[in-house]
Amino acid sequence: MASDIRDLADEEVMQLVQRGDPRAFELLYDRHGGAAYSLAYRIAGRQAIAEDVVQEALLSIWRNRLRYDQTRGSVRNWILGIVHNRAIDGLRRSSVHDRRRATLELVEERFEAPERTDVEVARREEARSVRGALDTLPDEQRKTIELAYFGGFSHTQIAEMLHEPVGTVKGRMRLGLEKMRRQLAEGAA
Amino acid sequence: MSDHTGHTDDVGAYLLSALNDLERQAFERHLRGCDECREELERLRPAAEALPGSVKQLEPPPGLKKRLMAEVEPRRRTPNRSLLAVAAALVIALAVAVGVSQLGGDDTRTVTATVADAMPRAGGQLDIDGDHATLRLHDMPDLGRARVYQVWLQHGERMVPARTFEVGRGGTGDVRLPDVRKTDGVFVTREDRGGARVPSEDPIVSVPL
Repeated sequence: MASDIRDLADEEVMQLVQRGDPRAFELLYDRHGGAAYSLAYRIAGRQAIAEDVVQEALLSIWRNRLRYDQTRGSVRNWILGIVHNRAIDGLRRSSVHDRRRATLELVEERFEAPERTDVEVARREEARSVRGALDTLPDEQRKTIELAYFGGFSHTQIAEMLHEPVGTVKGRMRLGLEKMRRQLAEGAA
Repeated sequence: MSDHTGHTDDVGAYLLSALNDLERQAFERHLRGCDECREELERLRPAAEALPGSVKQLEPPPGLKKRLMAEVEPRRRTPNRSLLAVAAALVIALAVAVGVSQLGGDDTRTVTATVADAMPRAGGQLDIDGDHATLRLHDMPDLGRARVYQVWLQHGERMVPARTFEVGRGGTGDVRLPDVRKTDGVFVTREDRGGARVPSEDPIVSVPL
């Protein structure tokens, strides 16, 4: 029954996907396609590229669906990890100038999802909470994390860009993540 | 077992994909023998995994799901080009004959868009379904980084600014609009990124209602 499948948890839906059920795959897209596209758009800065990234990433997930191992994390994080890798690979093939511009400038994002469903409201709330945690970081830690994660720059490239020693940049990444972890844990408590 | 001190700060860079290939491989080898780094990695992983959730949440273009599902489930593929051409010709004929083709009930209709001569391949339609409408355009030129398309809703003499949008692959743009049942027309212009308060040019796409 079409209505039954929507009640399943992601991990159960993924078991159906692994058996080759396109309806289950479509449901995963409905649940996580928005987050995947938003991430790809944040990294790529262009709609056409973000669409290509999400399509390639999700097709690779469908074709390699038997590789999913639920002991290694949630379905959502697995999907977003693959989208992130694809988007960053694309950036690393593009010019440094374009990447820097896309990362440091705030890209206009006008296709904002309307809050029509509980899932979309939850996504917005999550975004606010994580952005709040990022905003509590000292500027240099936040910038270092964003240049790496959304800009696809290596720690050595960031060190050159910010005129800082490599060890300082790596330290900021670890300290920034540590502080974010604490903020998020406090927020969830 | 490798020396732990050289890897203390690698955990963050590893989680953010900021190590180069050689460094990453070396760190992964080190991880296998270092409980301390593995624990630190799992402790910080939730922070790195939260980062995708920090971005502004956008709505994926509807065409993306269609293309994806057509690959996943080939039976869902859209009809071939010759069928599409026949269907398109029928829609145009209907639109020419009556201006508007009524598809479905009272609240559901499709209105063909008129496109500026400067874009001979472009075209599109406005699909109205009750209190929702979607403007679907194709073969629209890419405007680059500095410019965007902007939708305008005509209310009497007033042109009310609505969404800005970029076009995707094949110059497609699917723009969801609010209730247009009391709107006199839907129009599109090219504006600077960020959008305008008043149109800076004559519409390049027009859908009179």
